[in-house]
Amino acid sequence: MKLFKELYDYREMIFSLVRKDLRGRYKGSVLGFLWTFINPLFQLIIYTIAFSFILPSPIEKYYLHLFVALIPWIFFSSSLQGGANSIMAAKNLVSKIYFPREVIPISYVTSCFVNMLLTFIIIFFVVIFSGVGLNPLAIACLPVIMLAEYIMALGLALLFSAITVFFRDMEHILSIITMAWIYLTPVLYPIDMISDEKIQKLFYLNPMTSVIVAYRDVLYYAKVPDLSTLAMAFLFGIISLVFGELVFSKLKIRFAEVL
Amino acid sequence: MNPENAIEVRNVKKKFKIFYDKGNDLKDRILFRNRNHYEDRWVLKGISFSVKKGEAVGLIGHNGCGKSTTLKLLTKILYPDEGTVEMAGRVSSLIELGAGFHPDMTGRENIYTNASIFGLTKKEIDRRLQEIIDFSELEEFIDNPVRTYSSGMYMRLAFSVAINVDANILLIDEILAVGDANFQKKCFDKLREIKAHGTTIVIVSHALEQIEQICETSYWIEDGLIKESGTPKTVHDHYLKSMEEKRNQQLEKQHHQENQAKPPKLETSETEQLPDFCEKTAVRMGTGAVRFTNAILCNLQNQKQFIFNSEDKIKIILEYESFQPDLKGNFGYGIFREDGLHCYGTNILIETGSYIPVQKKGRVEIILQNSLLPAKYFLDIAVHSHDGIIFDDIRQVLSFVVSSDKYDIGVCRLPSAFSWR
Repeated sequence: MKLFKELYDYREMIFSLVRKDLRGRYKGSVLGFLWTFINPLFQLIIYTIAFSFILPSPIEKYYLHLFVALIPWIFFSSSLQGGANSIMAAKNLVSKIYFPREVIPISYVTSCFVNMLLTFIIIFFVVIFSGVGLNPLAIACLPVIMLAEYIMALGLALLFSAITVFFRDMEHILSIITMAWIYLTPVLYPIDMISDEKIQKLFYLNPMTSVIVAYRDVLYYAKVPDLSTLAMAFLFGIISLVFGELVFSKLKIRFAEVL
Repeated sequence: MNPENAIEVRNVKKKFKIFYDKGNDLKDRILFRNRNHYEDRWVLKGISFSVKKGEAVGLIGHNGCGKSTTLKLLTKILYPDEGTVEMAGRVSSLIELGAGFHPDMTGRENIYTNASIFGLTKKEIDRRLQEIIDFSELEEFIDNPVRTYSSGMYMRLAFSVAINVDANILLIDEILAVGDANFQKKCFDKLREIKAHGTTIVIVSHALEQIEQICETSYWIEDGLIKESGTPKTVHDHYLKSMEEKRNQQLEKQHHQENQAKPPKLETSETEQLPDFCEKTAVRMGTGAVRFTNAILCNLQNQKQFIFNSEDKIKIILEYESFQPDLKGNFGYGIFREDGLHCYGTNILIETGSYIPVQKKGRVEIILQNSLLPAKYFLDIAVHSHDGIIFDDIRQVLSFVVSSDKYDIGVCRLPSAFSWR
């Protein structure tokens, strides 16, 4: 409880770090903030071309099928990898100034999250123009899914950022894990492709599966996701957050000594 | 916690692990498991003190004594291994100035970032913004990116933010050396003002006068323990004295070593070898009609000495031999400070008005009242003929160190008597 109050007191620090990260990223480039949109736009164009002409997929509108899952995945994986490194990267602050240490991973994950939200503007355009259309009831579920994914990503970022301080290999181990993880999650393929129900259940043990399936339900199939899928996603999110913070709070008091 | 106190530190101990060969990655941990030996170094060995609300205290001590660690424990960057640290109220630390500054952002934007790191909300920053800008005297540059600032401007902006964070407790580490003399004075006045408003201040500094000006109490930390505490002036005097003693011991040791480590004489050397009584750096000139054979610095009891007090009498003993009969000579000496300042020089002609006959083997003794202030000095000695021919002249023949218990400054002491009405 004390932590919540303190984090609330330091909310401006979180905002300003997020702002600094978002604005600092493209500072100095000619197009500046526009890159936030140009990047995913071209990603989409490339996928469309690639999966229409070079590698045609039997799945209808595969580019959309892929895109609505890939953007949330990129948020998740960059939160995980960058988040794990965030305390190390903020060495100067952490070893010199007091503030609740959670601020650093929180603002990192939040800035990735804001980035994803901005990309969603493009997703909405594409969803509308591709003819899938927006189902208002389904769209209403979107914030819930996003929140579930956010707390999950945050939990893992807390966990791994703390571990990385003491065990620097974690960063590299994580990059291998995320590389494998994307194939264990139905990002590039639909979950139905796994025909064996038992194996499919096994896949649902992967916390990201529920999240990605829910995103795809809303944006590709324009339907309200299963309540159970949503509940699963949330459950995983909360477990990850609680566990992550537990480990983080144990380790944070020694950060300044090791950095 | 006593409600009168702003800070209570009770028996705090802190250790650091010193790794012999630190391996933080997997390979090192597995392959070199036995390399992961470490040693616990206790930086703080049990420190207790309390600071009343509105009081200012200074922490002093030589490098590595644990004073900065103490300050970091107060800010909660580090946590004690034993003991407790309690603080009442919002803490602001001026340990790292300009934390989180982004060079591409404007001064104004950076004020927001930087102040937010101290835990201020946007509203609070809005309220202080004008004050911060005014204090930094950067009004006209405030909307330029900080990368265009000079380092002085940068520090001024950073300091202005840090000092305007209305904290209950302000921790300051060695940062009052910001900007030009004017700005420093302004910072100092601001600190006084903050203190007058009831803020508790803890300063770590080597600038002892600053602590004396603002603090009621000084803590001298040595080897992780509080060695002395009390009125700053008194504590500092003791501290300086101990520092000086240490330094002199070191100098003496060094002097000793240097003299022992004289390189063996080379017979093929073209230049004339300096006799043993000279410093290694000595330079000798002259016709050689008269040669110094020894030079000694000693006290009145004829004991050779290297360190003299500012008020000591110093005796210079010069021994010489002459290779020509019936010479008249003028013996003299000069004293130079290490940095080359010519402090004093005189000779027999000046002092007595006449030359003295040079013996076959003779000795000249000079007793002088030292009034030089602490520094390292060199002695030059020379003997001239009545018409100015240099018989022998050895520059930097000996060196010596002057120490003092007083803290007057300058080249030499001008005994001063103050009176007042």
